[in-house]
Amino acid sequence: MAVGAALEVENIRRCYGSVVAVDNVSLVVDRGEFVTLLGPSGSGKTTTLRLVGGFEKIQSGAIRINGERVDGQPPYRRDTATIFQSGALFPHKTVTENVSYGLQRRKAPPAEIRDRVKRILDIVHLDGMQDRYPNQLSGGQKQRVALARSLVVQPAVLLFDEPLSALDLSLRLKLRAEIKRLHEELGFSAIYVTHDQGEAMAMSSRVAVMNHGHVEQIDRPERIFNDPANEFVYNFIGESCCMAVTIAGGSISDGRDPLDMHLKTGLADGAWRLYVRPSRLKIDAEGCSDANRLKATIQFVEYLGDVFRYHLKAGALDIFADHPTRLDKERGDAVHLAWRDDDMKAFR
Amino acid sequence: MAGRLIPWSLMGPALAIVVVVFGLPTLQMARMSFNLHSSQGLYTPGFTFDNYVTLFTNPVFTGAMRTTVQLALLASLATVAIGYCFAVLVWLKPARWRLLFIALALCPLLISEISIIFGWWMFLPKNGLLSHVLLSAGLITDKISLMYTEFAAFIGLVYITLPYAFFIMLSVLDGIDKGVLEASADLGGSPLVTWKEVLLPLTSGGLQVAFSQSFIWTMGTYATPSALGPDTLWTLGFLVQEQMLGKHNWPLASALAMILVIGVAAVVVFTGMIMSRRSRYHV
Repeated sequence: MAVGAALEVENIRRCYGSVVAVDNVSLVVDRGEFVTLLGPSGSGKTTTLRLVGGFEKIQSGAIRINGERVDGQPPYRRDTATIFQSGALFPHKTVTENVSYGLQRRKAPPAEIRDRVKRILDIVHLDGMQDRYPNQLSGGQKQRVALARSLVVQPAVLLFDEPLSALDLSLRLKLRAEIKRLHEELGFSAIYVTHDQGEAMAMSSRVAVMNHGHVEQIDRPERIFNDPANEFVYNFIGESCCMAVTIAGGSISDGRDPLDMHLKTGLADGAWRLYVRPSRLKIDAEGCSDANRLKATIQFVEYLGDVFRYHLKAGALDIFADHPTRLDKERGDAVHLAWRDDDMKAFR
Repeated sequence: MAGRLIPWSLMGPALAIVVVVFGLPTLQMARMSFNLHSSQGLYTPGFTFDNYVTLFTNPVFTGAMRTTVQLALLASLATVAIGYCFAVLVWLKPARWRLLFIALALCPLLISEISIIFGWWMFLPKNGLLSHVLLSAGLITDKISLMYTEFAAFIGLVYITLPYAFFIMLSVLDGIDKGVLEASADLGGSPLVTWKEVLLPLTSGGLQVAFSQSFIWTMGTYATPSALGPDTLWTLGFLVQEQMLGKHNWPLASALAMILVIGVAAVVVFTGMIMSRRSRYHV
């Protein structure tokens, strides 16, 4: 058994000209862990993945796989395997030839290659497709081949580069569950890059939220959701409405006009941004015991399937709140919003 | 019935041009190659195999065939090799370099073959640019002339066909997802293995097209090899011209041209056959 975590990334940095793409990122992936890099485009998540895979060179820091420094080595010497967004299957090779490629490079005996390829194709539900060429496969099947091609070599770390983003929604959900199942079954270590927070939440052991080339927070998905480290993470994960208010001597205003708002815990004077998730905002909560309140008027209603989303206005603030049923109210009617202290985050 | 006519009627105009402009003259040339030589006019109508017998027995003509094929083969191989490397380089480099390289490759196409030959006449002789540069760089001690050598003919041919090979290869490369190179490296393929296992099979079709294109050109052209090569460099193209305009022997010139056409067609069909076998994944 090798020593150290499957992957250790230590203060890596990569600039392109004056743009810092990856800025002192550190990350540890334990054996069997599924870590997601989540962030908006341009946040450096894909570059981080490519640095680990060896497609780009780090300018400082260190990368260790199973305790061994690999940052000076080319991709073909690193024990990683990437599942690319485009799939990047070899178009001139059949499914079997594609999946065998990595094992052939590792000089595995032909009998072993045959067995392992057959087994992995069974696992990803591609039996019967062995002799097809990539252009004879559907988008979902192609990504399964890409998955099989990387899984079969049993690398120290699997690197997923937004493998599902090119697929349509239903297929994406299906393959997402399948990757999760494979992870449970095979116990591989992986880094998964995505900008889809649903994917990140559903699949990961831990999520690293990235922004402007550095990691804002790295933690278990439920901790990221419920206890975000800062405003960016709070904003990026889940939906939230932002109320920009100014507090001065106990009175609360939207910056110009006073608001009919009451906060249980007083905040210091100054400009604040208060965040509450729309699902935690109670509408029409006149007799409610929750301590934080705001009076607002209804602008319009959206029907979202599970809930009705009420878009409201209070002074200059635009707020939206979800309610399970349609209210007996119309545009312009006043409602009372209420929320618990625990459900609010305040940033200044 | 109408459904079957539509493709033909759409192809019609192009087909008509091919038949009238290429097909009929070739047929006429084939017929001419069986006519008799006349000492007065250009030919005497008749039917004889003599012209072909002459071509395959007279050492002047058999020698010319060997020379032509040899020169065309060498020049085409060199063209394809250089064009391939150049195209791969442009394909791999960032897009900002691309336009510059494409403009460079276009240059030879903007100049006529005759002007290019005049250019070589400035460049290759004893008092030419090349000699001066090599001398002042200290690489040679005495002025040299590369003019009127087989090497000059070879260089001239490569220069003319290179842009075509380059653009053919670049268009083939542009159809390839560069991700496959990374995928290969990622799975343990060294650069050499990646080239052999991935890039070469994906570009082999383009290599064959580029090769046949260069080969057709270098087999047929006569101005460049006869203007740059030695007096003894007799290519088929040169002999066709000589028989036609110098010796006024149209039947023999036609027979020579027929050999050229059939030889080139054979190469094209042959490469086409290899290609269709290789590219079955483009279903």
